[in-house]
Amino acid sequence: MRRPPRIAAAVGHRLLILAYTAFAVFPFYWMAITAFKQNSDLYVGATNVEHNPFVFNQAPTLDHLRTLFGQTLYPTWLFNTLLIGVLVVAITLLLAVPAGYSLARLTGRWGERLSIGVFLTYLVPSTLLFIPFSRLVAIIGLQNSIWSLVLIYPTFTVPFCTWLLMGFFKSLPREVEESAMVDGCSRAGAIWRMVLPLSIPGILTVVIFALTLVIQEFVYSLTFISSVQRMTVSVGVPVALVRGDVYYWGSLMAACLITSVPIAIVYNFFLDRFIAGFTVGAVK
Amino acid sequence: MADTTAVPVAVAAPARGQLRRSERVLGTLMLAPALVYIVLLVALPFLLAVVLSLTNSSAGSLEFSFVGLDNFRSVIGSPVFRRALRNTFVFTFVSQASVIVLGNFLARALMRKFRGKAVARFLILMPWAAPISLATLGWLWIFDSTFSVINWLLKVVGWLGPGQWYYWLGDPTLGMVAIITVHVWRMLPFSTVILLAGLTSIPAEVHEAADIDGAGPVAKTLHVTIPMMLPILTVALLFGVVFTFTDMSVVYLLTRGGPFNSTHVLASLAFQDGVLGGDVGRGAAIAIFLLPVLLVMAVLTLRVSRRAEVL
Amino acid sequence: METRRQFIVKGGRLVAAAAVTVAGPTIVVRDARAAGQLKILQWSHFVPAYDKWFDPWAKEWGAKRGIDVTVDHVSFADVVPRATAEVAAQSGHDIHMFLGLASAFEEHVIDLGDVVRTLEKKHGPQVELARRSTYNPFTKKQFALSDMWVPDPGNYHKKVWADIGMPNGPSTWEDLVKAAPEIKKKAPQVQIPIGIGLSQDIDSNMAVRNILWCHGGSIQDKDGNVVLNSPETLRALEYAKRLYAVGMTPAVLSWNAASNNQAFNAQETAYILNSISAYRTAQDNKLPIAELTGFVPALKGPTGIQMASEHVMSGYVVWKFSKNQDAAKEFLVALVDASREAMLASKLYNFPSFYGAVADPGTPVARKVESGAAWIAKQCKNDPFGSVPADKLALLADALKWSTNLGYPGYGNPAEGEIFDTYVLTDMFAKAATGAMSPKDALAEANTRARQIFDKWRKKGFVGGGSKDR
Repeated sequence: MRRPPRIAAAVGHRLLILAYTAFAVFPFYWMAITAFKQNSDLYVGATNVEHNPFVFNQAPTLDHLRTLFGQTLYPTWLFNTLLIGVLVVAITLLLAVPAGYSLARLTGRWGERLSIGVFLTYLVPSTLLFIPFSRLVAIIGLQNSIWSLVLIYPTFTVPFCTWLLMGFFKSLPREVEESAMVDGCSRAGAIWRMVLPLSIPGILTVVIFALTLVIQEFVYSLTFISSVQRMTVSVGVPVALVRGDVYYWGSLMAACLITSVPIAIVYNFFLDRFIAGFTVGAVK
Repeated sequence: MADTTAVPVAVAAPARGQLRRSERVLGTLMLAPALVYIVLLVALPFLLAVVLSLTNSSAGSLEFSFVGLDNFRSVIGSPVFRRALRNTFVFTFVSQASVIVLGNFLARALMRKFRGKAVARFLILMPWAAPISLATLGWLWIFDSTFSVINWLLKVVGWLGPGQWYYWLGDPTLGMVAIITVHVWRMLPFSTVILLAGLTSIPAEVHEAADIDGAGPVAKTLHVTIPMMLPILTVALLFGVVFTFTDMSVVYLLTRGGPFNSTHVLASLAFQDGVLGGDVGRGAAIAIFLLPVLLVMAVLTLRVSRRAEVL
Repeated sequence: METRRQFIVKGGRLVAAAAVTVAGPTIVVRDARAAGQLKILQWSHFVPAYDKWFDPWAKEWGAKRGIDVTVDHVSFADVVPRATAEVAAQSGHDIHMFLGLASAFEEHVIDLGDVVRTLEKKHGPQVELARRSTYNPFTKKQFALSDMWVPDPGNYHKKVWADIGMPNGPSTWEDLVKAAPEIKKKAPQVQIPIGIGLSQDIDSNMAVRNILWCHGGSIQDKDGNVVLNSPETLRALEYAKRLYAVGMTPAVLSWNAASNNQAFNAQETAYILNSISAYRTAQDNKLPIAELTGFVPALKGPTGIQMASEHVMSGYVVWKFSKNQDAAKEFLVALVDASREAMLASKLYNFPSFYGAVADPGTPVARKVESGAAWIAKQCKNDPFGSVPADKLALLADALKWSTNLGYPGYGNPAEGEIFDTYVLTDMFAKAATGAMSPKDALAEANTRARQIFDKWRKKGFVGGGSKDR
């Protein structure tokens, strides 16, 4: 009696997974095949039913990759993106971890109100901050420097991360620090020795979260950086490979693919810990 | 952290009041850097932006004269703005509803064990790892009116007859569909992960208890899963809504607001008028309309999550 | 290496800035070489070969004078946002190149009147469309300098047009409406018979102006009064509606600057309004369309007006905040002097704004413009870049006759610039053409917005007129 529905459920389950995976992956598949197609194979109108765009109709080519690596500064942009990512993550942690802990443990009722205030600043749309930021960046003398992005990017990571970490610290039992303090530790010592090691999952959450936002950002990067060799991937690739009325589709798609895969691998690697971190951080 | 070590170490067994005071000092010191940063780099620029919305500043110059509420008046009178306002809600609501519903299905499916799970999980996560400016170019290529692979497929399977064609980015409705599709595509992995976290957090005993009580799948979802997931659902939603409401990247990169300014959202319109058009006051005025809605949504969500004993 | 070194320097500056904030005033070391520097922001040229000429040429120009020249390139769509950011920041590059109108930035740039006077003394007068795009008669300020403009001919598919009995392509706007159904009949594989964009992008922005002008309408009159609300504009909108119905698809509503090139090169459309860049791309990629491409001059309207907007043009400005204004001016003079090289480096894409600057060496000033025009005609009639037949581009020799500036019949003032940048006209045309609005309503909506924008700029004192607004 119970077998047929089970099989149906299993098939349904598979189909569901398959459909989602196809949706998620299709653009990447498309990028991959575009990246290796010859131009004359690429630019054939879709009305031509005979010409199947899903396969190679002519021999694959490495020309687009050659353009990407030989004629653009793609590796430099990757390096810049990564460097900015790491620095922003570091700043975010330096600001958000102590602040999150303080709001969770050391500030009482006004801390709770303040935490809502901190969260609200996350709501300010970046379109509004664009102009004031330009001025600020110039006053400090950081225009056209990677450091301008390092300075500005935490504006969208710190508020949300502080808020997440606060929840995470709240979820830890107070006994963790109290027992250490009974043993003669100061509060600061207890945080350093007991709380932080227990918070690795939460911190990891923040790291991945901040890194994602940095990689996604392009508006500030577009306007604050003008030298090609200092650009991030998000901006450098389109600037070099979209020439007004010519899109170098093959090289563009290759760049997108090559940037995404390693990041996805890293995410996948930390996913379980991330899930653990987010569960506690968000719920408590 | 430099701040924490700078604090004088408390005496071994201090009186309660003293401890409190030193902790308050420590608390303030730990909070200060983040707070100072936020005030300097978010609050003050924000105030400057509000001031700019009352001026005729061109190209962000700080030499301007105040024009009162002129910008707001002209913005509210503009049909393009009203359309963008509506689109912003449609965009946010439809994409977030889809993301939450689809994410739920997907998270549940990923909870089970099956062959190839690791691969499936990796592939499903990929959109989240792609820089949006490049990924949208990929979609632009997929939706391209001349080379659209979707249309080719539809043509081959016979959905599109001779002379029939979908102009994904050339039609206001299809344009919004395309924008929402791309946004759902990029947000789905993230919310799936969050929901997966929520599902993982429900102890197995709870499910077993419900099974023993004879609850069916629907009843179980209604009375067990949803209430237990509520807090994390709220966070996913809050993040998603704020992120979507203020996001201009997909619109700006995919349709640039076209055709005829019919797919703009507030953020992209603010960018077009304020930065591309050089009318900073007008741009700021448009962006400011995002705030009250965001505020209401945030307060509501925070309320709900508090009732569910979050925060 | 360069990157990392810069990085450390800037990092040091960040620390220094932090130190200033913390420790109060301290000695800030200024870059001692600042006076010997010149930073130029350029677009990424649509013909990439141009950038390969420009960058080293600029460097070399600087090297001879002990000036360290830096050239940065941005995508054409990012030229304006970058300018906004730099004005807001009050720092950045010394020279900024705009495509089309720089007029919205007039209050932030220096007067280049002396540069133009120097150049006119040397090479004779600049072309009128360049003058009208860079000079504001109301404030009497030469806010920009144009070294080049680009003609906007029609590209047509020779074989398709031959098949319908019009081997020489269209010559009037009405021809397009007549040809479209024929093309559909004779060449059904052509998805979009007439590929004129009606989208929010630069090519469409030019195209709808061409339609408007040739039907006798315009945004402003020659004195800066808003006259968009006219029977002529309505006629242009009605025309767009007819053309759209017979010859276009919603695809044109979504096009970006690359789409018409791509569609034409894929033989999915039989007529586009474009510079020669689509053709050059086809040549580079050895696409079959290259040989099948024919060019026609601007189309004639029912009024007999035959007018096309420049396709793009340069508007170099020197920021008020620049500390190297003299070097910047010298550079601009040198750039115009090098117009011949520039036109060849861009494969005849760039046309000089000072015809005299491409004259044969040794020509007296009075005859320089004439001599320059002859040299240009010679290039067009015998394309050095492998056209078959070699005189394919011959019609461009006369392009100046049917080309004009944004803001025609007036000047390219900042209000015209803002209307251009916020797509007020393409919006109006797209709404009327697709039937999303009646031509009348679309016109009323656009007219309201146009008047708002003009009023705003008049209040700021940069635009005249107003007494005869409609």
